[in-house]
Amino acid sequence: MIKKNLQQSQQDRFRLKSSPEYSQANFTWVVSLALALVLLLNSFAWGSLEVRPVILVLFILYTLFTLGQGALTYQIRRDLTRHGEIRPATRRWGYAGLLSLLTGNVFLTVASFNLIKKQKSPEYTISVYMLLTQIFVIALSSLNMFKPYVSNGFLPGMGILIAVTVFHLTALLLVAKYAHQHVLPARLKWLALPLLLTAATGNLFAVVLGLSLLSKIRRSANPGATRWADVWIKITSNHTAMLGMFFIIFLFTISVSSLLTFEYSFAVDNNYSAILQSPSLTYPLGTDDFGRCLYSRIVFGARISLIVGFMSTLIPVIIGGILGAISGYYGRHTDNIIMRALDILYAIPGILLAIAIIAAFGANTFNLIIALSVGAIPTYARTMRANVLMVSTYEYVDAARAFGSSHLSIIFKHIVPNSLAPMIVKSTLTIGGAVIATSSLSYLGLGVEPHIPEWGNILKIGSTYLETNSYLAIYPGLAIIALVLSFNFLGDGLRDALDPKLD
Amino acid sequence: MDVKEAAGFSRTINHITSTYRKILLNPSYKYLFLLLGAPVHLVVFFVYMIQRNHDAYTAVVNRLRNEWLSSGYHLKLQEEIQDQLRRKAEFFQQQLSSEKLKRETERLAEQKFQEQLHDEAIKEMQLNGQSRLTFADTFESLIRRSAFFAISWIPGLLMYLMIILYSYPLLKFISERLVMTWFVILGVSVLVFSILYMSPMNPAANILGVTATQEQIEAFNRLHGLDQSYWAQLWNTLKGIFTFDLGKSFSGNEQVTDSIARKFPITLTLTVISLLIAMIIAIPIGIISATRKNSFWDYSFMFIALLGLSIPNFWQGLIFILGFSINLKWLPATYSPGNWLSMIMPVIVLGTALTASVARMTRSSTLEVIHEDYILTAKAKGISSRQVLRRHAVRNALIPIVTVIGLQFGAMLGGAAVTEKVFNISGIGGYIVDKQFIPDIPAVMGGVVYTAITISIVNVMIDMMYAFLDPRIRSRMKQY
Repeated sequence: MIKKNLQQSQQDRFRLKSSPEYSQANFTWVVSLALALVLLLNSFAWGSLEVRPVILVLFILYTLFTLGQGALTYQIRRDLTRHGEIRPATRRWGYAGLLSLLTGNVFLTVASFNLIKKQKSPEYTISVYMLLTQIFVIALSSLNMFKPYVSNGFLPGMGILIAVTVFHLTALLLVAKYAHQHVLPARLKWLALPLLLTAATGNLFAVVLGLSLLSKIRRSANPGATRWADVWIKITSNHTAMLGMFFIIFLFTISVSSLLTFEYSFAVDNNYSAILQSPSLTYPLGTDDFGRCLYSRIVFGARISLIVGFMSTLIPVIIGGILGAISGYYGRHTDNIIMRALDILYAIPGILLAIAIIAAFGANTFNLIIALSVGAIPTYARTMRANVLMVSTYEYVDAARAFGSSHLSIIFKHIVPNSLAPMIVKSTLTIGGAVIATSSLSYLGLGVEPHIPEWGNILKIGSTYLETNSYLAIYPGLAIIALVLSFNFLGDGLRDALDPKLD
Repeated sequence: MDVKEAAGFSRTINHITSTYRKILLNPSYKYLFLLLGAPVHLVVFFVYMIQRNHDAYTAVVNRLRNEWLSSGYHLKLQEEIQDQLRRKAEFFQQQLSSEKLKRETERLAEQKFQEQLHDEAIKEMQLNGQSRLTFADTFESLIRRSAFFAISWIPGLLMYLMIILYSYPLLKFISERLVMTWFVILGVSVLVFSILYMSPMNPAANILGVTATQEQIEAFNRLHGLDQSYWAQLWNTLKGIFTFDLGKSFSGNEQVTDSIARKFPITLTLTVISLLIAMIIAIPIGIISATRKNSFWDYSFMFIALLGLSIPNFWQGLIFILGFSINLKWLPATYSPGNWLSMIMPVIVLGTALTASVARMTRSSTLEVIHEDYILTAKAKGISSRQVLRRHAVRNALIPIVTVIGLQFGAMLGGAAVTEKVFNISGIGGYIVDKQFIPDIPAVMGGVVYTAITISIVNVMIDMMYAFLDPRIRSRMKQY
């Protein structure tokens, strides 16, 4: 009897652990609860002792959804222990969870989408995030309607966004119906091509979905999964990595679509009639000391942060990668000379080297990118060198050498492609650091030119109004944290998917 | 000299000569070594050349040569080779003039004759248990005479020092690292100087203002040596860095090294305190997370750690000031030396990223170690799991943690610039930031280079710690 009980509890534990829905449900209600608490704390203005009705309503809605999710989690747990699987009736509750989209609770919405469908192909997950990105962009863009005037491209922009969203919804339904784990009907390729076109709004999930559909259709005769398909399966089943990717792509999409739907003059032009206003519908995050809309500034600042972050990671990846590959492949004196020279760069802390470079050449965006890139070269060179040293001992490299391939072709055809994975992981893990460094230098007055709305610049202004208008420093900081956290989550997920041993 | 002393002397000599042979085998050390002990080596070489002409090998070779010459072996060899060459020419249908043929034959025959002579001599010596005299043999025979040994210390002091360094693996490792560090520091100085030298900005015009006349600017440049050539300025700067005298700063008329010496301890104190606190907090957290993998605590700790990695220092500092100084009025917003309350916030802000990365590293390296075979062995021996963790797992998991601490220490010293500006601390980072706006080249230069030097020294210490922490690394070091 006791033995049977023990066996039963072990089996239960295994079922609960191996159910992605259960772990996600748990994660979701904890996060929802945390968000609800944050809202509760903010629904009461501590300084003037008055209640903020809008936030209070939001808090009540969040609490309701959290309670619902809690109950659902309990139900899933009971299903798993009693029946060994989640019953369809429980899964149907996911449709109710979709309503949480109206409160902007992306965690709950994603969990509901995942609960509804039993067999989840990576394409399904990607199309869910694609649709969510689109809806969030529309929601944020439509806040501009409360402004005194909107940009000229607002109406056509919103029209395009809504049309694309409708198309993405259709795509999601089609994918949910037809895309299974391995086989795909060839008809879906007519869906893939327009999807690739909609990526012009910046929604990179559409690119991923389109390419993945196309490659799956091409491989449908031969269902053996390739390495990259495998990686996608692992990443899409990692909630935190997908949430990180969602936020990054969401920021990218809104940076692209803000060209049409946001008015740049609100972010840069002085408006002395609206100086230092508290958050309102017209100015959702308030205004700064020149009457500029903080909300628009943060949205336009995302562009700079993303560009500087990407460029100051991409440049050292390329230069460091080439140097590392050369020194790892040729070894001996080449290796010694290159690595000793890079040791010199490595000895100077990145920020100090950047400060020295900017002191010499002046503060602007281009110099900032160069300054941040130079300091990061040695780390990437070391990573690449270590990989190349390992890969060059493999037999296919010997085979290529025996065939008489030239050194260059061996390096670029055989060694570099096979040592890229740790470089990709490393760069996603350190891109967050580049974003932080960018904003830190801007905060010190050494980064992007002061008139450009960049998150560090906005914070620099906000820090002088810390006592009276603290939101000026809080919101851009939250944006930086969210972006860096997203990159870190994505990097961790990529590391788990590509190389579990690497840290 | 009694027997015991003689044995001791002989042991020392054996030790010296074996190290001597080892160094000569190492191509990267050989030339430096020969140069360091040049006077002694010259004497040894002279003796070697004399002895060589009378050693066993020369005797055997001479005897064999005479035998072969008298038996006409070399003529036979010549005929053979001439025949081969002629046939080869026929096969390739080449025309060979008789004179050319003769010259070629003689060259090849001589070569082959010498080769065979050498092989035969070596073979014969091996049979008799002899070996050829080498340079190191001569040195050994010379050094065994106590008179030579005593005298050779005077011109060969450097050489003997190198032998001592080389014969202890740890000493050798440390001195190699120190030499490397010296080159890195030199490289850093040259690099930073060159970057600042290439600057298109004009400090003179910046400091003197728009109304400055051409003569005033020239006088300023002359005063600070800015009119000299690149090499002269570089030499002065390098000399300044190594003699701790970087001259006066462009503005404020203060000795740069004095200001740095005043500000550096503040930054270093803050950094070291944050480092210690970070380690005290992070290592237990990492171990708890690793031992309870995928539990609620693991997830929470790792999420907090990731959050800690994602918060920019300056934002965290601002929020702390907003919360603890402005709203709650618990802590002072700016740092003042001597007031330890004002130290709390900067230390926490500076240490957050380090705590987070050390906790993550501790978790992953402990996880890796507890799956090793020796942990299984220890468990099989019946040691309690707490003991296994303390004695075997944590000790071996420390290596990557130490690496992370070393790497992060540099990042902290650099990142201190931001924290110092937020809390208004007059440390080295804030000093560099303030001075770069001018740009005050000696001050920026000094600040960056001395920080880099500190980091390099810390890295050397970290490398030495490896050897004490991990017996595997120690034994690998000895195999050289």
